[in-house]
Amino acid sequence: MKNILSKLSLNQKLGLIAILLGLIALVAGNPFDSNEVKVNIKDIALSTVKNSDKIKPETLAEWLIEGKSDFVLIDLRNPEEFEKYTLPEAENIPLVTLPEADLYRNQKLILFADDNLRAAQGWYILKSKGFKNVYILDGGLEGWKNNVLFPRLSSNPTKEELSQFEKKKAIAKYFGGQALTDSGEVETKPEISLPASSSQQKTAGAPQPKKKKREGC
Amino acid sequence: MNAPFFKFGYFNTEISLVIAFIIGIAFGFSLERGGFGSARILAAQFYLSNMRVLKVMFSAIVTAMLGVYYLGVIGFLDLKLIYMTETYVLPQALGGLILGIGFVIGGYCPGTSVVSFATGSLDALMYILGALFGIFVFGEVYPLIANFYNSTNMGVVRLPEALHLSYGLVVFLVVVMAVGAFALAEWAEKKFAFRNPENEK
Amino acid sequence: MTSLAKKISELFTKDIEVVEVKPKPYSNPYLTGIGLGLVLLLSFVIMGRGLGASGAMSSLVAFGVQTISPEHATSNEFYKEYIGDGTTNPLKDWLVFEVLGVLVGGFVSGALAGRIKKRVEKGPNISKSKRLLFAFLGGSMMGFGAKLARGCTSGQALTGGALLNLGSWIFMIMVFAGGYAFAYFMRRQWL
Repeated sequence: MKNILSKLSLNQKLGLIAILLGLIALVAGNPFDSNEVKVNIKDIALSTVKNSDKIKPETLAEWLIEGKSDFVLIDLRNPEEFEKYTLPEAENIPLVTLPEADLYRNQKLILFADDNLRAAQGWYILKSKGFKNVYILDGGLEGWKNNVLFPRLSSNPTKEELSQFEKKKAIAKYFGGQALTDSGEVETKPEISLPASSSQQKTAGAPQPKKKKREGC
Repeated sequence: MNAPFFKFGYFNTEISLVIAFIIGIAFGFSLERGGFGSARILAAQFYLSNMRVLKVMFSAIVTAMLGVYYLGVIGFLDLKLIYMTETYVLPQALGGLILGIGFVIGGYCPGTSVVSFATGSLDALMYILGALFGIFVFGEVYPLIANFYNSTNMGVVRLPEALHLSYGLVVFLVVVMAVGAFALAEWAEKKFAFRNPENEK
Repeated sequence: MTSLAKKISELFTKDIEVVEVKPKPYSNPYLTGIGLGLVLLLSFVIMGRGLGASGAMSSLVAFGVQTISPEHATSNEFYKEYIGDGTTNPLKDWLVFEVLGVLVGGFVSGALAGRIKKRVEKGPNISKSKRLLFAFLGGSMMGFGAKLARGCTSGQALTGGALLNLGSWIFMIMVFAGGYAFAYFMRRQWL
């Protein structure tokens, strides 16, 4: 064997290496995402500490108002619920289709559903696929309702709470909601219906990075 | 997955321009090393006497292809984040044909013309001026040909999808095809050595 | 020692043409190709994009048109793509910087190998002026074809080829086809 190898010219050796690498490629697998990945459980568990996996609805509200575009909002509910109402500029990816979804790893992904359960399940799925920038909208749409759309002022507000409440009023109005003051005696809450999402962009399917810079040649 | 670095935000646009410059230097250096600063050598490809174009191009393609494949398989490089142009069957086929004819008439392609000009070639300068003119003409007639330009769009398609073969199998086939082409190229160069510009002087 | 000093002074005093620094032979094409492939791979890993050349030329043309007549530039779909919303200079583009690098890299390589020489590359059976005309003609065809195909041999064939892009492979095959088919008609220029 050594004799044959030594008799080969440099070019022939290179050709041989290339063919060898090509042969290995026949069995090495698919270079794109596979759906079976080694799950680093410790890593995932660690990222739940310090709530670094959650985003507060108020924070999201601020980002939306500021016009930040470095994140993708993903609505994990089914299409009918999505059509009725969803968050501004959210994409609809039902939870069951999440493993196959075409998501970019370099974007912040914020998952939400009615509450935290479905979002947490989606969060785990994406974390196991190796996504690093995944977050849960804390409280989901319920949390959004209670903290952004219809913020309540407690019955004995401190000065700080009062000033903060003014800000919350403005935010609520921006998103089509309304600030509520706690009357204390009301037993039955008025039916809080969510503002119609007619003016929202319903983009289904894979998210595309916004303002794609021309990268051709 | 950490790569491509730029798409994961490791550095900003300004730095990417500096990187572009550096990568360009490496690119230009390699091209000139390979003899691509000479129109005579480039054109000789089409007379089968000097097959450098084929050898360098396919060695580069195979190397980068294998690199991308293996880095993707081990999970270091995210292939989905690498920019790919969409496939426009007719415009690209016709464009390729025109470019090929322009190649054998002019003796360069855009990258090599820049390299050749950098080493003092006047015809390379004329070629570059011609290229700018050609692009200008294209821009001016664009409204008339816009429909054709945007026709037969298949979106982003890779060979494995188009041929219904696995990515690894296509990689293997490309390697085999390239090595076969190299063998033929060596044979051709021996046969047509009499008109190989590299053999002069 | 004195002979060495003599040789060095000769290099500086004699006319460059006369001294005729013998150009070194070119490198092994396969090794060069591997080097080029590694540069391309580096670009993929660092930037998530490949190389290119014709795009820089397009930016230059768009910049020129915009400078001479901004209204004409913005009314044309093609130029608009390179000018964007008008806030950034079309020359502040990745490819433009890359091509500037190509200029420098090519020069450095040529200088190291003694291949810098003012010249007109042509075959023995054609005049200089005719060759220059053909260079211009070939260049214009190439410019036009490259825009149609969304790239040239660097961008489409090399980059797209390595990424197994279907359109790029179609393009690459057609480039070789066109070149070989038309070679017969150009033989007087080269052979």
